[in-house]
Amino acid sequence: MRAERRERRWLYLPPLVFLLLVALAPAARLLLESGARFSVLSDAYLRWRLLWSLGQAALTCVLGTLIGVPVAWVLARTAFPGRALVLRVLMLPFVMPTLVAGIGVLAVFGPHGLFGADLQDTPWLLLYGNLFYNLPLIIRGAHDGFAALPASRLAAARTLGATRLGAFWRVEWPAMLPALGASLCLVFLFCFSGFGLALLLGGVRYATVEVEIYSLVAYELNLADASALALMALTLSGVCVLIYAWFERRLAHPAPVDPLPPAPPRHWQERVALALALGALFFFGGLPLAAVAWRAASAGAAWRVLFEPDTLAALGNTARFSAMTLVLATVLGVMHAMAGRARVWMRAAAFLPYVISPVCMAFGLLLLYPGLSASLGLLIAAYTLLAYPFVAKGIGSALDRMPPTMVQAARTLGASPPRVLWRVTLPLLRPALRRGMAFAAASAVGEFAVTLFLSRPEWTTLTTLIYRHLGRPGAANLDQALVLASLLMGFALLAFLLIEWPSHARRESGG
Amino acid sequence: MLEIIDIHKRYGDRVAACGLSLTLAAGEVVALLGPSGCGKSTLLKLIAGLEAPDAGIVRFDGADLARVSPDARGFALMFQDFALFPHLDVLGNVMFGLRERRVAREEARTRACAMLAELGLDGYQARRVWTLSGGEAQRVALARALVTRPRLLLLDEPFSSLDAHLRQGLQQDFRRLLGKQGIPALLVTHDRAEAFAMADRVALLCDGRIQQCATPAALLAAPATPWVARFIGYENLLSDAVVPERAFRLGAGQAPARVEDVVPLAEGMRVRVETALGRFVLTLSAREVAACGGQLHPGGEIGVGIDRDALLRFDRG
Amino acid sequence: MKSFLSAIAFVLAAGIAHGDELRVLAHSSFDLPKPLLADFERQAGVKLVIVKAGDAGEMLNKLILTRAHPIADVVFGIDNSLIAKALDAGVIDPYVQKAGARPSHVGLPGGVASVDYGYVTLNYDKAWFAKNHLPLPRTLDDLTRPAYKNLLVVENPATSSPGLAFLLSTISALGEDRAFALWARLRANGVKVSKGWDEAYYTDFSRNGGSRPIVLSYATSPAAEVFYSKEKLTESPTANLPLPGAVFRQVEGVALVKGGGERQAAGKFIDFMRSDAVQKALQTTMWMYPAVDATPVDPALRFAAIPAAHQTPDENTIHRKAAAWVARWTQVVLR
Repeated sequence: MRAERRERRWLYLPPLVFLLLVALAPAARLLLESGARFSVLSDAYLRWRLLWSLGQAALTCVLGTLIGVPVAWVLARTAFPGRALVLRVLMLPFVMPTLVAGIGVLAVFGPHGLFGADLQDTPWLLLYGNLFYNLPLIIRGAHDGFAALPASRLAAARTLGATRLGAFWRVEWPAMLPALGASLCLVFLFCFSGFGLALLLGGVRYATVEVEIYSLVAYELNLADASALALMALTLSGVCVLIYAWFERRLAHPAPVDPLPPAPPRHWQERVALALALGALFFFGGLPLAAVAWRAASAGAAWRVLFEPDTLAALGNTARFSAMTLVLATVLGVMHAMAGRARVWMRAAAFLPYVISPVCMAFGLLLLYPGLSASLGLLIAAYTLLAYPFVAKGIGSALDRMPPTMVQAARTLGASPPRVLWRVTLPLLRPALRRGMAFAAASAVGEFAVTLFLSRPEWTTLTTLIYRHLGRPGAANLDQALVLASLLMGFALLAFLLIEWPSHARRESGG
Repeated sequence: MLEIIDIHKRYGDRVAACGLSLTLAAGEVVALLGPSGCGKSTLLKLIAGLEAPDAGIVRFDGADLARVSPDARGFALMFQDFALFPHLDVLGNVMFGLRERRVAREEARTRACAMLAELGLDGYQARRVWTLSGGEAQRVALARALVTRPRLLLLDEPFSSLDAHLRQGLQQDFRRLLGKQGIPALLVTHDRAEAFAMADRVALLCDGRIQQCATPAALLAAPATPWVARFIGYENLLSDAVVPERAFRLGAGQAPARVEDVVPLAEGMRVRVETALGRFVLTLSAREVAACGGQLHPGGEIGVGIDRDALLRFDRG
Repeated sequence: MKSFLSAIAFVLAAGIAHGDELRVLAHSSFDLPKPLLADFERQAGVKLVIVKAGDAGEMLNKLILTRAHPIADVVFGIDNSLIAKALDAGVIDPYVQKAGARPSHVGLPGGVASVDYGYVTLNYDKAWFAKNHLPLPRTLDDLTRPAYKNLLVVENPATSSPGLAFLLSTISALGEDRAFALWARLRANGVKVSKGWDEAYYTDFSRNGGSRPIVLSYATSPAAEVFYSKEKLTESPTANLPLPGAVFRQVEGVALVKGGGERQAAGKFIDFMRSDAVQKALQTTMWMYPAVDATPVDPALRFAAIPAAHQTPDENTIHRKAAAWVARWTQVVLR
């Protein structure tokens, strides 16, 4: 027994060392370089930046709840042809590369957008982008919350005299709240500390604090103000992550329930609700992707870019880096999740890469490891850092759902701890692992923040290739960028489908 | 064979074991009977090695098990929820322990199939475990536990999730199999009928210690404490003894008792009476009911006496 | 466990530079044909490690930040708007070119060898002006008139090199106070500010689906439009609008990084950047003019016109004032 506990402690080590070396130490190093000048808050402009960052994140959460909860409810309670498919591709926007999302959103609501409405330089563009990414997260959370409600509880409420609406407010809503709360924490975190999307969509006026940190460090070399902002942002998002971890632990119950089976719509009202829900889903999640695909499809000769040696090389690099990232992220993510089962702080630590300013991290890494600054190792480490929280999170919640008796049964049947891991734990975690890896792979394929790191031409990935095309004048370059963007989109889709598809064919339940 | 000596275990404020001792002889089936939450399951985990005691010794065949890991103990623990592995089919589940004990694949398959056949599960080899009914799942779990020929079988409420009808049939199968294989077993349950039906000896657990451990007959004949007496089903207690049904004397010659409540039964009647010695509940046969005339209604009066020689006195030592 | 850590160590170690590598730091627009770079590697006997560090301003800041342990041996892309800052920060070692080095009418101080030059200026969408029957503006002041309301998009000088260049040229031409007065009027007349060049050119410029027919870009952009057009063009769809006060001449150079290694190879690289082959190639890869006088101009550049005059402040003034000017600009135009 004592040996087993020591082993658990061992699991802590690699993820924590990794986080320390790649995230914490660099950020701290940058802070040491300059100190932090907290008087930045006396600057009205920076104050507005901070407030706007908070405001847009909060607003995204509010809008997301208003739109997402009804959609989730309809998806959870209504049966319709293609429902399984919708649930499967629901998370697709979330795994889209930032660059593709940005181009897509601009194609819909930019100058000459689909609806003739130019939302550029208004806060709505960023909010729409935020919702594109995060609405799936909210819908998923709320849907899982609704689906985890035992049918009997709802039936009890109805027989006790609650109307359908009453039953929703007094039974379904409170039961779903922890799941929604956890999702909202993540959404707030992603929006507040968002970098790529805000850089692309925020314009000059509605960029987030992270973009401001980038300007301060990269263009003004004003490390003191940047560090102060980064520390404030870190505190705020740190709190957010802790709340999330707390919610997750509350959700951790291995309770298999008999949920209410979805029923086909009966009245016209229900049909309208279904149509509205699917419409909202498409408007926020599908439209930007369709716009990119449509623009690329009409690009004509630009499709030849796919056969250029540069593109093939970039494809090769993207595949290579993604594979390396995936291996590292999986190993670290599984270790982190297993080590962090019981501890809120360890769960929260998995989100450290989203709490620490990526800009500070990137510049800190330069200072801390100048000899490694343009090394492949550091590049992969950076990718891994941004990818592995997804694995850790997925595995973590799957572990929560796994009955502890599974491991105990295997132990008493003669399996040693490594054998238990190999023969029971990992097979049971496979669906979650697969999903976490899908997210990790997609994030590695199109990670925007990694462009902050030093890059080498021979490492050109699809993302950086798109940038190169966008960095030159000429209509052909724009078209080629769009074609490459849709290729990137296709890969994210493929990775997602390949990994997500079979997991639903079998029952996922752990017992 | 199994010796548990002065085990202590607590979780924060909750005491699961406090100076608990118990022994199990070869081939013996002992039932651990106690109210919910008294630490029964914890004791099983301590024996299986899934938890470590705060203090105390667990020995098997004279060897201290403190440093022996759960997989090396050669015990099998059957869980209340059966803990079948959903990623393996029925055969895979039953073969699991054999494969872990390095039995060759072919031999493991043969032995697993034989065990399934023995439990009436022939043809279930390829079934996914979530398609099984409760009784089937329970038998698969039993097959998985027995096929490794464990030195000791630990059973955690093995029948609690089954309905009464199914339970009786399975309990008989169980006894038969355990007897045939000669495997000692420790069975945890909160159902006294199950404990009495299955076990050679029954150990009553309360407040982290064994209150009494004896054969069912001995327990019924001489419960050690009022708590034990109540828990094994005696309803009528005096301060120093149990009043078994046969100790009651009815009739006009006995002291008068006031009828408080009557519940008609299929054969006879249950009657609560108040006597000078206290309140008692009597189960009367149809003949006795007839003998009581028209007095069996709340407020009526019948004669109830106690034969002092038939009392089961608590062991004061 | 051990194997895991050693795997990480291996991955990290695999990337560590080892001997005979020349580390070249460049901005993200650096682009030369691969065979050319391979030739250099063969001749100089070193392996080139090209490291891109973002926009030129960001690149210099990274160099300054890591000056104690430099991340490169030689740096390309320091231009006349950044050079004084670079020299002041002490991140550059002077490089003395060989006697008889080929003459160049554009130069950079401090032992930085000039490689190419170009002009930052306004471009306009010919089709848009033809369709709307609007005469071209003749001065920057014209752009503040109602007829030209909401027609101009420029880059933010705080985050973009061409943006900074444009601000500098207005100040050089008009003087500080009048320049900012102009900016205030431009703001009132709806000037749009984009974060960087690609955003301005590809989302706001009317030629690419935006709503602004005048964009701040480079004098060579019309030639690139022909070169990268979808069908064969005989005329560029865009043209320069070199209004007085809106032309900045940018001279880019290559220099030794102070504290860097591989001195000999670094010197060879500097000479290589001024060689005929590179001087010829960079014209259509980076869309700049060759700094070495004798280099023939590439036919692709005939679609671009060299502005007759430019308004470029001297390097030291830029270094002394740029930060304050950008701050004031942000105040006047954005806040």
